[in-house]
Amino acid sequence: MKSKINLYLIEFAINAILRAKYKNFFIVTIFTLLTFLLTSIFFITNSVRYELDSTLEALPQITVQKMKAGRQYEIDVSVVDGILGIAGVTQAEARVWGYYYFEKAGVNFSVMGINEYENQYKASFTELVESGKHTLYGTSQMMIGQGVAKIMKMNYYKEYFNFIKPDGRLKKVEIAGVFDSDTNLESNDMILMSQDLVREIFEIEESKATDIVVHVANPEETTTVASKIKLMYPDTRVITTKDLKVSYQNIFDYKSGLFLALFIVTLFTFFIIIYDKSSGLSSEEKKEIGVLKAIGWRVDDVLKEKFYESFIISLFSYTLGVALSLAYVYLLKAPLLRDIFVGYSQLKTDFELPFVFDIQTLFLVFFLSVPIYVAATIIPSWRVATLEADEVIR
Amino acid sequence: MIELKNITKVYELNRHDKVIALENVNLAIEEGELIVLKGASGSGKSTILSLIAALSKPTSGEVMVDKKHISKLPDNFASIYRRDNIGFIFQKYNLIPTLSVKENILLPLIPLNPHAKEAEDKIQAVMQRFHIEHKKDAMVRQLSGGEQQRVAIARANVNNPKIIIADEPTANLDEKLSEHFIEILRELKALNKTIIIATHDPLFFGLDFVDREIEIHNGKILL
Ligand SMILES: Nc1ncnc2c1ncn2[C@@H]1O[C@H](COP(=O)(O)OP(=O)(O)O)[C@@H](O)[C@H]1O
Ligand SMILES: [Mg+2]
Repeated sequence: MKSKINLYLIEFAINAILRAKYKNFFIVTIFTLLTFLLTSIFFITNSVRYELDSTLEALPQITVQKMKAGRQYEIDVSVVDGILGIAGVTQAEARVWGYYYFEKAGVNFSVMGINEYENQYKASFTELVESGKHTLYGTSQMMIGQGVAKIMKMNYYKEYFNFIKPDGRLKKVEIAGVFDSDTNLESNDMILMSQDLVREIFEIEESKATDIVVHVANPEETTTVASKIKLMYPDTRVITTKDLKVSYQNIFDYKSGLFLALFIVTLFTFFIIIYDKSSGLSSEEKKEIGVLKAIGWRVDDVLKEKFYESFIISLFSYTLGVALSLAYVYLLKAPLLRDIFVGYSQLKTDFELPFVFDIQTLFLVFFLSVPIYVAATIIPSWRVATLEADEVIR
Repeated sequence: MIELKNITKVYELNRHDKVIALENVNLAIEEGELIVLKGASGSGKSTILSLIAALSKPTSGEVMVDKKHISKLPDNFASIYRRDNIGFIFQKYNLIPTLSVKENILLPLIPLNPHAKEAEDKIQAVMQRFHIEHKKDAMVRQLSGGEQQRVAIARANVNNPKIIIADEPTANLDEKLSEHFIEILRELKALNKTIIIATHDPLFFGLDFVDREIEIHNGKILL
């Protein structure tokens, strides 16, 4: 026996595919769509999850909010001193921030008051300060995220922006710079300015803050520290990063659910094809197998040919689907799908999906599709090929 | 060369009904003989052919070809036996209509995975012998009945088999083409092939180069 690949068989298989070109065109279309959807969903899911994890990592371990009548209120800055007294706490800071609704554009900006010690913004802040000309503290300047910059520019605010204070008066703030951040999801709609400035814009008193963030030396102790804070200040809500992760995950899962529906429809069609294939061959197909056997083909030869036929079709569709998906997600930035998965912020700005390419996804999609299709083609052919050929050629 | 010993073939239609297609058939065919099996439709001619070609197995009895037990071959070996020994000419040609003449003739060679040159030579030789070379790239679908017949004969001969089996070869041909087929048969006979033809076409009866005419009736050989 020669072990080299039988090119005649492959050629015959390609011919066979072209002979049933309408049927196979339909199969390739459905198959490609399935691969495309599945791969895109996995790619986007991975990217968003990656984004989420890095965002959450940058967040404080514990956030303390004051609650009253079931809603969040401003918290006394003096609470910071109480929390600092708890063993294990390395840092506690009062944060001043809020959402500024920019009516003209119909979007919300997250306005965050900073001091340079706060870890989360330290890097970009330092960068800006080091670039020479800017010191934000105490002046009328701000740093803005790229999404904010874009929207402001569209409304002809290139150098400054006029905030409308609660009393109706304007507060003009200079744009000192646009910051880059490796976490896109949250910082895109972010505005950073000094705490004093935030207090002025939102009318928050000197003794009050929006919330308090707490850092714990040993992450294992986070839960213990959180419950101690709760004991000391029963009128607060204490949120840990862990809780946040869960609630983000919930939003996220709900959104993937929508796409699951679309996906199921495609999968359904795929199974109809599979069913059609495995429920038996047409009499034409049966006869062809019978004739091939009568002129000396072995069952192996018939099955090899069927394998090539189905493998070529499924591999072609798979490759096409993956290629389309890569182009769609990472070149076109996943229009439509992205809006469904990335909707945390009210801001309708460009969001860069980080390129998280994992080979596991490709393997998973491959094994969910190609072998199933190949098996569904080969098994009925095998059944016919092992019959007495006599019966099929009469 | 070919021996059918006490062959009985029963088709079980379902639990209650069965058809006895052949009953106690004994037949010996010498190398180079040309045999015509005649008899009414349903008498069992095709069944004899498919047993000789190892396309089906007898219910009882034995088929021997070159002293080998053909009726006991496992499926894969039966295929190899056919590939190496049998050229099959079917009643309806059984060509693949959307492949070209050359591609159809290539079919029996495919499992052997021959070198391109070797395959080309073999195909060329049979196309010339059976006068179909001028149509080698035409799609079979576009050929006339007589041309399709010649493609089928060329395909049956491409592996240079010792035994040629033809089942109702003239059933779809007009008289002129049928006579042409008989001329081709004469050529094959001259090549010393063992030939078995199942037919009820009177054109085959009383031909000078036919060695024996065997009549089948209700699954039995009439002597
Ligand atoms: N696959 C089969 N299943 C059931 N009966 C069959 C089958 N093949 C042939 N027969 C029956 O066997 C008998 C002989 O058939 P066949 O050998 O085809 O006759 P012929 O070729 O002389 O017309 C017929 O009665 C036919 O109906
Ligand atoms: Mg018959």
